Amino acid sequence: MAFKNISLAFARCLSSLQPRFRFNWELPHANLRVVVDGLAGALVIGVVAATPVAAQDKPSSVGLGVFTFTSGPAAAYGMPGKNAADLMIDEINAKGGIGGVPVTATFVDEAQGAQGVIAEYRRLAGDAKNQVMVAALSSATCLALAPIAEQLEVPTVGWNCDTHQLLMDGKSKYVFRPNGNTVPEFIAYAIYLLDRKPDVKTVAIINPDYAFGHDAAKIFTAALKALKPDIEIVAELYPKLGSPNYQTEISRLTTARPDVVFSNLWGADLENFVRQATPRGLFTSSQVVLALGETVLQRVPLPDGVIVGVLGDGWWMSPDAKANPETVKFAEAYKSRFGEYPVFPSIKMANALIYVKAAYEAAMQKNGGKWPTRAELAAAMKGSKVATLTGITQTRADNDGLVDQIVGVTVKTSAQPFPVIGDMVRYKGDSLMPQAGQDPLAWISTLKPEFAKSLPKPGSYKIGER
Amino acid sequence: MRIILTAAAVLTLAVLPVAAPWLQFVLTLAIAKGFAALGVAVLLRAGLISIGHAMFFAASAYGVAFLAHAGINDLGLLLVLSVLVAALTGAIAGAFLVRYRAIFFAMLNLAVSMVFYALCAKLYGVTGGTDGMPVPIPAVFGIIFAEPAFKSVLFYLSLALMVLVGLAVQRYLDSPLGHALSAVHTNEIRLEYLGIPVWAVLLIAYVISAALAGLGGAISAFAIGRVVPDFAFWTASGHLVLIAVLGGIGGVPGAFIGALFLELLHSAAVTVTDAWNLIVGMALIIVIMFMPQGIYGLFARKEASSP
Repeated sequence: MAFKNISLAFARCLSSLQPRFRFNWELPHANLRVVVDGLAGALVIGVVAATPVAAQDKPSSVGLGVFTFTSGPAAAYGMPGKNAADLMIDEINAKGGIGGVPVTATFVDEAQGAQGVIAEYRRLAGDAKNQVMVAALSSATCLALAPIAEQLEVPTVGWNCDTHQLLMDGKSKYVFRPNGNTVPEFIAYAIYLLDRKPDVKTVAIINPDYAFGHDAAKIFTAALKALKPDIEIVAELYPKLGSPNYQTEISRLTTARPDVVFSNLWGADLENFVRQATPRGLFTSSQVVLALGETVLQRVPLPDGVIVGVLGDGWWMSPDAKANPETVKFAEAYKSRFGEYPVFPSIKMANALIYVKAAYEAAMQKNGGKWPTRAELAAAMKGSKVATLTGITQTRADNDGLVDQIVGVTVKTSAQPFPVIGDMVRYKGDSLMPQAGQDPLAWISTLKPEFAKSLPKPGSYKIGER
Repeated sequence: MRIILTAAAVLTLAVLPVAAPWLQFVLTLAIAKGFAALGVAVLLRAGLISIGHAMFFAASAYGVAFLAHAGINDLGLLLVLSVLVAALTGAIAGAFLVRYRAIFFAMLNLAVSMVFYALCAKLYGVTGGTDGMPVPIPAVFGIIFAEPAFKSVLFYLSLALMVLVGLAVQRYLDSPLGHALSAVHTNEIRLEYLGIPVWAVLLIAYVISAALAGLGGAISAFAIGRVVPDFAFWTASGHLVLIAVLGGIGGVPGAFIGALFLELLHSAAVTVTDAWNLIVGMALIIVIMFMPQGIYGLFARKEASSP
């Protein structure tokens, strides 16, 4: 019936085809002039914009493309990064910039999606002044930009994106990630949890419903199963990113009564979740692990004993950070300028900028004080070891960064009105990373309980000790 | 005269990337979206608004990613097959969607496309979830290009396709089958009485519009190098409707003019401020308020007054 109808329609149309190859969009000459003039103007602007600057001369300013979320829900995480970049660049410029040249950043909003971000990346890369890109927050953006960075040969520093897929092939020449990846970040929580609660039997997971949430669940589960095979995952919930309401999920979690609830919710989602779960007793019935908990310490009253961390070493109050006058100064300046102390996304951004600055300095030292090319900058990042605000980031052969992992629990102190992290541990960056090129999940499944025993214990990371 | 103008516009587009290389990507993307918006515009002829055409855009883009993953490594073959994927998806969805009109049509398209979006985002093991799938650089008739050269080939191919497909669609819209679409809009029952099967007319239009969206999706997939579920999100569909309305639903050039306008406006706005959404939104309001016929209507109106 359907086919008959279609063929019928086709036949009718074919039989009545008339050779009227005529368009109906004539326009008068006056309009044409305007259009042609406009196009010519656009062409001229394009030519002017594309005129390159000689890379070896010292430019009037060091351009940086900085990619973060400045609009939409993810800005809850992206704006602390942007704020930190503003502050850090001011601090760098106050000390004379990089090699005597002031730094200016062009911020690109990742909320416009992969297409817009790529267009902006290409535009910025077309200007020889922008030698390095600091990109990006979202793993999806980093994955989309990585092949372009390699093609255009622009050193690109991932300041936050942490998917383990990014540098897995080990072939990257221009993409660097000094902030570490999801594998050590979430193994650290499994080890810490088992040290603190060795008798844990049941675990529930509530993560945001996108790659970051699923990756984290996979890594955390694999690590738990490897280190304590009798652990059971009783619930895996993936609420939509940006959900305003978590009551259904909280009901599921409270009826499942797991020993542990693990979550890598973040931003406003995490705040919402904590506010809704606290009155329903989730924090008293289960040991809660909030992988990105540090970001909300200053905003919601988290009860004591919640396992939180910073996905790396970027806590502004860690003993190492407190021992570094630069970090203390940065944190105070941040507080006075933005009304809050920095959260770990801010520190990650600041550290990424320090990493870029170090690369410029190393490259100029190597080539005898000349202004470095993009290739020289990438070479300087390769295998570098840079002291950041909160520790050291070591760039491996596959361009992935080794950073320490800090995990602890919330405690109240008299020093701050909000809870801070206590009973901390600081795992060495290389101890939780698979070898370059190794499949991370296969590596995790080879872990043995003895492996965890060899690592530092909760509470071992205190002021005055390292 | 109008042929000269078209040629001048196409020629300008062709030389712009020589002047500003970064524009090449923006323009490739604009043309790709122009194809998809043209698909929406075809249905708009019949008074049907599809708020779900990003589904076909994404279906074809994922088609490219999957086919490339399966070992097919030729630009031409990938383009043809992925457009067929989109057309097939269109035929399946269209078979029941074209029975509906007005708000029901719009909403059902939206619903189906969001199901597709959810599948792309949730079938983590198959589609890579929100991280998406990579699209490698294919060979062009056996020649393997380096990346920058391939992007140029892609751009000029899109440009050529824009002209060829544009002519074909113009021809289609001017055929009885195309005129039947306007007739559906004005008086559907009369059409049935004339012995023209409305369902088939609409299904053909639906498949054509899905294939157009698919062509845009495939080009985008090659240009971006990565396919993500966001391609199918309803805001992307809304974006396509917007382009179609913005450019003017009168003719084929409208869709491409709208796409170029919106992409260039977007590119300009994001360089100015974080509140780029505001600038884009304001510009849209201005166009809708003062140019009810769309940007293309500016030209078309002049023509209407001078017979």
